[in-house]
Amino acid sequence: MRGALHRFLLPAILGLVVLTAAGCSAGASTKPASRTVRVTEKDFRILAPKRVPSGDVTFSVRNKGPEHHELILVRERDRRLPLRGDDLTVDEDGLGSAVVATLEPESPGVHEVKAHLRPGRYWLICNMAGHYMGGMRTQMVVE
Amino acid sequence: MRTGREFKPFAHRGRRAVAAILITFAAFSALSVALSTSTTSRSKHRATVVQLAARQRTLAERYVKEVLLVRDGRKADPGQTAEILAASVNALIDGGKAPSVEGDDDETDAPRATDPTFRAQLEQERRLVRDLTATGNAVLDGGSVKAIRLRAHERIQVPDPVKRLGVIGALTSNVSLNAARTVATSTDRNVSNLVSTQVALGAAGLLVSLLLAYALIAATRRQTAHFRSLVTSSTDLVLVFGASGCRYASESVTSMLDRRQEDLLGDGFARFVHDEDRATVRAACSTGGPREILFRVMNKFGEWRHLEAHVTDLRSDRDIGGVVLNARDVTERVRLEEQLTEQAFHDSLTGLANRALFRDRVDQALTRSERSQDVLAVMLVDLDGFKGVNDSLGHDVGDQLLQEVAERFGSASRSSDTLARLGGDEFGLLLEGTSESQAIILAGRLLKSLSEPVRLAGHDLAIGASIGIVAHPGGPGKSDELIRHADVAMYAAKESGRGCEVFHQDMAREFGETLGLEHELRLGLQGDEFEVYYQPEVDPAHGEIVGVEALVRWRSPERGLVSPGDFIPAAEASGLIGPLGDYVLDQACSQTASWLSESILPERFITWVNLSGRQLSSGGICERVRGALEAAGLPAHLLGLEVTETAMVREGTAGDRARAELKQLHEDGVHIAIDDFGTGFSSLGHLRRFPVDLIKVDRSFVQGVEHDAKDAAITANLASLAHALGLKAIAEGVESASQLELVRELGCDLVQGFLFARPMPAGDMTQMLIAGEGFDTRSLSEHFGAGIMPVGGA
Repeated sequence: MRGALHRFLLPAILGLVVLTAAGCSAGASTKPASRTVRVTEKDFRILAPKRVPSGDVTFSVRNKGPEHHELILVRERDRRLPLRGDDLTVDEDGLGSAVVATLEPESPGVHEVKAHLRPGRYWLICNMAGHYMGGMRTQMVVE
Repeated sequence: MRTGREFKPFAHRGRRAVAAILITFAAFSALSVALSTSTTSRSKHRATVVQLAARQRTLAERYVKEVLLVRDGRKADPGQTAEILAASVNALIDGGKAPSVEGDDDETDAPRATDPTFRAQLEQERRLVRDLTATGNAVLDGGSVKAIRLRAHERIQVPDPVKRLGVIGALTSNVSLNAARTVATSTDRNVSNLVSTQVALGAAGLLVSLLLAYALIAATRRQTAHFRSLVTSSTDLVLVFGASGCRYASESVTSMLDRRQEDLLGDGFARFVHDEDRATVRAACSTGGPREILFRVMNKFGEWRHLEAHVTDLRSDRDIGGVVLNARDVTERVRLEEQLTEQAFHDSLTGLANRALFRDRVDQALTRSERSQDVLAVMLVDLDGFKGVNDSLGHDVGDQLLQEVAERFGSASRSSDTLARLGGDEFGLLLEGTSESQAIILAGRLLKSLSEPVRLAGHDLAIGASIGIVAHPGGPGKSDELIRHADVAMYAAKESGRGCEVFHQDMAREFGETLGLEHELRLGLQGDEFEVYYQPEVDPAHGEIVGVEALVRWRSPERGLVSPGDFIPAAEASGLIGPLGDYVLDQACSQTASWLSESILPERFITWVNLSGRQLSSGGICERVRGALEAAGLPAHLLGLEVTETAMVREGTAGDRARAELKQLHEDGVHIAIDDFGTGFSSLGHLRRFPVDLIKVDRSFVQGVEHDAKDAAITANLASLAHALGLKAIAEGVESASQLELVRELGCDLVQGFLFARPMPAGDMTQMLIAGEGFDTRSLSEHFGAGIMPVGGA
């Protein structure tokens, strides 16, 4: 009777420690590799390969800052992208299904976004206020 | 591992563990509070920063509007707004005061930016503010905007200055917004970090506390186990008593008393305690004192075990609440003590009281007698013939004999009497409330108890006793004196041969002198003060020397030459006659052997040696004489023993044994003479049964023959009696020629006395023998001369 407390106490403590450790290491799994396209963003410019094969592509977006940036992939319909009334930002709603992929605004660092690319011409833009007009746009051909 | 560690039962291990747990809790709590405080304080700063950063966005938009208003001729102050923008961003980067905005808020303290991302964004903002301000100025001045070098890496392709200003304004605004967002995100991260840290800290604290608690419990368990095993494995018995009796008994009760623990609980223990000790134990258990008690407890097998207990009063101790007895089994020690006491006061051989206890009992009896005036008697008993048994059959037999005698005396005496063995073959009896006459009756019983021979080692041992009695009439007295008087009476009994004598004052006077001599005699024996003299015995018919009587002389340095008549009684009383007799016997034998080897001995020569009554009655004379003959290499027929009539006719077993021994010696060829014949009271008829060759007619008769017809008649009768029994008669103490003549006529075969020669040293006797001289008895008796001259020729 007297030993019961200590007999269960130690295993309980050890169990707690083990569970905590296991919880910390969970979720560190890796994703299956797909074609990766490296894109670099910085104030206020986007650098991307001019030609990319079609298919499933993972964009590895490196934001070199210092600003937050987003990355929007738009399939080109017209020569020019439509602007909103402020004359500063692209009218994303007007583009509709032309928007192929969107990476929401992120702080500096590496971020990923996936897209299925059909052959054609594409715009890569950052549509944060003033960024598009400030120079953050480039074009890419998917073959 | 654990066994190697030193165990410290009183090291307060538990208290330290508890303290460690509390300290851990305190440390973790303090850390937690500090973290929270610091995070909260940082969050407060960040709120200010976020607010300022957000204000920059508004200011940037206002600046653009104000520039456009001024261009349109309206009133505005974009310059001030630009200044606030620049000052605010500087304050955000380097820390300091951010200026107030009119109608909006006050001056604000901003901390220096530390986060690298935030700082980089602020620096970009500063560049954008400059670009914005430069572009705004160009718009107002109408200057070329294309010439403005943009510092923040904008790549603006629209040529219109106003549009350009709008883009840079939007960028500035957006950068401000993002900076605010960065700070806000970092605050969130800090808060979530705080939460994680707090959780981790809590877990760690809990873990450490649990480990410490575990250590505490383990230490306590170990300590408890240690004490439990100390108590349970100890050979000491631990008992705890409460109001309802015994509450706890340690396991050692099984080994100590062969009883189960539960048998002792409650009133169980008291049942096994000895009646006489129960009150002591009860008192100790209820009052907690005295500190040490000794009591007896009966074990399962009905044996009393002596326990010595240390009593500790722990009734006020909350954990015990009773009286604790730590008991040790001291039975062996108690027994040893009893044994030692027994040894100190008892004779180990017979189990009787020893001399010390006897004296003590006599003292006590006298003390009682002084009060009550009751009579009492002290009796000393000395065995006759014991020494002979010891010498001839060995000490083992002697010891067994003493045990047997002790047993017989024990059954002959009353249980209220104190029977003691005082040493050697001497016993003592203290008879309380016993008169002289009753003591005499008891003495008779004791003697009677010895009449049956003791059968030991294949022998029927006849043993006698001499008993001295002293009666105390009641009142004061001294034990020493009483015992000494009994001793005197005992020697008197030995002397008289009557077996039992009652002390009277005449005896004291007589023996007072004797006892004084004793010490000197003892010293004399040790100091070689004794000498053997020889007195010739002569055949009156031819005057030739037919033997010598060996006589002992004592040349005392204090008393000069002491006559045998003065010291022999003392020697007999003290028992010194034994060694003295042995000395004379040995000397006489070796001297005679020496004469024999020198071939100077006449034919039929006999050396006569006197034996005392005590030598005979103590037994073993046969062995001793044979030993002396053997040692000297002397043929037995050259030795004669003179025995007193009283010793010879003594009654009882000792007398019988003495006669038997003499008979054996007689058969060996040793001659036996009866000394002082006619002075005793024995029946002449005894003579027939005795192994005797010669009777010596006492000098008292010889010296009376001239004048007393009765002495002459007795002498004549003795001589004729001797002849009738086939013995010879010798007249001793012949001092005159007329006496010589008369004793010859009266039939004495041999004569001895001063008329021929006084006792002389061995050297003189040797000379006389070498000379081969006889005595001219004829001329002596004819001339009634005063002396007889030795005549030449053998």
